[in-house]
Amino acid sequence: MNRRSVRIAMIVLTVVGIGIASYVTYVHYAGIKPACTAGESCTKVQTSTYSELAGVPVALMGLIGYLAILATLLAPESENTRFATLVLTLGGFGFSAYLTYRELFSIHAICEWCVTSAIVMTIMMLLSVWRFLRGAAPASGAHPHEPALAAPPAEGIRGPRVA
Amino acid sequence: MSSVNDSESDLTRKQRREQAREERRAAEQAQAQQASQRKRLYQLGGVAVVVVVVIAVILVATGSGGSKNAPAPKSAAATAASTAVIALLQGIPESANALGKPNAPVTVQYFGDLECPFCKQFTLTSLPSVIQKDVRTGKARLEYRSMETATREKEIFQTQQVAALAAGKQNRMWYFVELFYHEQGEEDSGYVTESYLQGLAAQVPGLNLSEWTAARNDPAYSNEVISDAQAANQAGFTGTPSFLIGKTGSTLQKFEDSDLTNPATMEAQIEKVAKS
Repeated sequence: MNRRSVRIAMIVLTVVGIGIASYVTYVHYAGIKPACTAGESCTKVQTSTYSELAGVPVALMGLIGYLAILATLLAPESENTRFATLVLTLGGFGFSAYLTYRELFSIHAICEWCVTSAIVMTIMMLLSVWRFLRGAAPASGAHPHEPALAAPPAEGIRGPRVA
Repeated sequence: MSSVNDSESDLTRKQRREQAREERRAAEQAQAQQASQRKRLYQLGGVAVVVVVVIAVILVATGSGGSKNAPAPKSAAATAASTAVIALLQGIPESANALGKPNAPVTVQYFGDLECPFCKQFTLTSLPSVIQKDVRTGKARLEYRSMETATREKEIFQTQQVAALAAGKQNRMWYFVELFYHEQGEEDSGYVTESYLQGLAAQVPGLNLSEWTAARNDPAYSNEVISDAQAANQAGFTGTPSFLIGKTGSTLQKFEDSDLTNPATMEAQIEKVAKS
């Protein structure tokens, strides 16, 4: 697992999260039934008192959260942007855990969209913790015991070409 | 010979110095790395603690679920609710599930779930104005219809909606519905028990309790709840409260109430239909 592929994976997951949150936000404002394989469960969750927090739909909060995460991932990488991603994904994970608790123990219905978003957010949180703790890639030759990230050798010093 | 030895020993000294410098640099770098790693761990812990505290606050603020029950029938809250409901409905004709004059030009059908908190919000904020301005004056009649949304168990939904309809047999359904919303408990806390329903019925002025109990077993009311659900489905409703408004006796149209706490939009629609 290298830093670049982790960042790309996180961007892909964020785009998936944005898709889910956009759809659920649209459903909320349009007042239509969400596509759901589990019967009326999604509608029950969507119309419950917990679908809003202080008058703001939680779906919209999720959408804003995902967009903020995407911004931190697309910004030039630094200790600060990695920390910002960590804060947002940990917050998102905590909020997803709260919503899942409400689904299971207060509403007694499961919304597939919310569960998928919670899984996406959990993976993103784990990746951002890993990414933050690993820090920046070591500068070329900075550490005497660790070789610099392999850079392709210059054309002139390549070994003899076998015919 | 001696100068060669000197130069060799010089080289070795230089190499040793270089090596020592390298080792020192490596040790410093390792130390710096450990320090920044420690700092990151503290930051991670700090953020995690803040997230846990924020979520705990949200959990407390949004209710722990099940702790807030409906008021007891003879409590001060129940008495206040009864007084408000009587003041609102007294003198308005009722028949089965309808409130208002039968010949009112406009009909409003209100699809609700008695446990739905949004219905409570609408019933307690917007509806009183609609009742005073349009129903009491004979411009509109209100019909209450059932649609399951917030109630977790189908059997409980059926029981509570039938209990309301059964009060309609004595033309007291709207008292029962209004009292239910006024005294609604915490969503999914299991507050709708037989004693809760009996307590509500006891607060409905002029309701004969034994007749009401007998009417609850009438299959016509169970069928009415089922046909209401079909009507809601046909209209494409996805949540409660939902409304159909139109000229009395003609096909009613779906009405989206964009602000449940503001009666103006519904009142404007009633006015529009009445003038059409």
